[in-house]
Amino acid sequence: METIRNYLDNMFAGLPKTARVMDLKNNILSNMEEKYNELKSQGKSENEAIGIVISEFGNIEELVNELGIRKDGETASLPVVTREEVENYMTVKKTMGIQVGIGVFLCILGPALLILINHLLEKGIIANDLSSDTTGIPGVIILLVLVALAVGIFIYSGMNFERYQYMENGVQLPGSLEADLKSRYDAYYSTFNLKIIFSICLLVLSPITIFIANMMGEEYDVYGIVVLLLIVAIAVFMLIASGTVKESYDRLLKIGDYTTKHMEVHKKEDKVIGAVAAVVWPLAALVFLFCGFVYGLWYIAWIVFPITGILFGMFSAAYSIMASKEK
Amino acid sequence: MISSDVIRGYNDTIILYLLLDGESYGYEISKNIKELSDGKYIMKETTLYSAFSRLESNGYIESFYGEESFGKRRTYYRITPNGLAYYKEKCEEWELTKDVINRFIKEWNV
Repeated sequence: METIRNYLDNMFAGLPKTARVMDLKNNILSNMEEKYNELKSQGKSENEAIGIVISEFGNIEELVNELGIRKDGETASLPVVTREEVENYMTVKKTMGIQVGIGVFLCILGPALLILINHLLEKGIIANDLSSDTTGIPGVIILLVLVALAVGIFIYSGMNFERYQYMENGVQLPGSLEADLKSRYDAYYSTFNLKIIFSICLLVLSPITIFIANMMGEEYDVYGIVVLLLIVAIAVFMLIASGTVKESYDRLLKIGDYTTKHMEVHKKEDKVIGAVAAVVWPLAALVFLFCGFVYGLWYIAWIVFPITGILFGMFSAAYSIMASKEK
Repeated sequence: MISSDVIRGYNDTIILYLLLDGESYGYEISKNIKELSDGKYIMKETTLYSAFSRLESNGYIESFYGEESFGKRRTYYRITPNGLAYYKEKCEEWELTKDVINRFIKEWNV
């Protein structure tokens, strides 16, 4: 019986879910179920009965033509996906969220360790036999190793995800699956909200560590910054990991930023913002390394990244508003 | 089994015939078609329901909900006076068609 229902769901997946179409679908379903029950009572096996019922379904195009349903351009061209594909996509997307989160975490951890190690070396708290010319080097090496590791993770998870890239451009879900996902989304949503609120609070409160360190004495300033960066890294990890899961729901259910209407505006936006990001972030990294190596400003040069982040965020938001106004 | 192409123009007539004696619903109609044709014609679900939809929008049949076991409401159909007139027309048309086509059918005595 489940097989018949799924079959019908798939057949109707491409049609608009108007009351009339739903009514028709229900009629056909009860028709098929009745036929199935009768075949079973005549002594047919489960498989035989299902086979006969499905073979006598006919051709969905016949209904489409008769009802004069215009499968509107966009939805008609969207691929219909199976439950398995959707489950795989969600699993891979979730893993990707965690991996990207870890990558970004490492990128923030890098400067934190750099500052910490430089400080410890300069003060001669560890390895005090190192000459003062070379104290900057170990921290930078660790930073570069961590960044390399992060880049490796980004590439790896990106390649893993490639197989499911097509799911991002909008798909059609069979009816029962869509209802299923919606209820799962509702259940997930409150956890998601809590995580977001928690991470934002962490971010807002993180500068407190600097004040606390400062109160403890000037020599603790550096530790304040290190702890601040660690807290930021944790918060950003949580934002990315849970944001990615939410995004996968949004994309599948075509809600939030991924309604069909939005998507078109976004495609253009994404391109422009992506192009700007491709220039701005490497530039920030360049400034960071330059300040560090040439002027030895490692303890403060990291500030380039949060500043770039804020400016870039402002730019993206402003651009989005302008773009949506034009429409 | 008859190919659906050949019979296409008369699906509506078949359904109307089965509604002549009173209201009926989807599965009953499709079962009756199968039985009356000795299993030589099985109307597909999509054919049946596009016919219902077409007949209803032409005003030849009307649908209503009837209560049914399992708590599911079932859609019933009944023929309208217009539908009856249309049915008679189709019967005449068939007589004519049959007569004409028969003139081009050769009896093969093998």
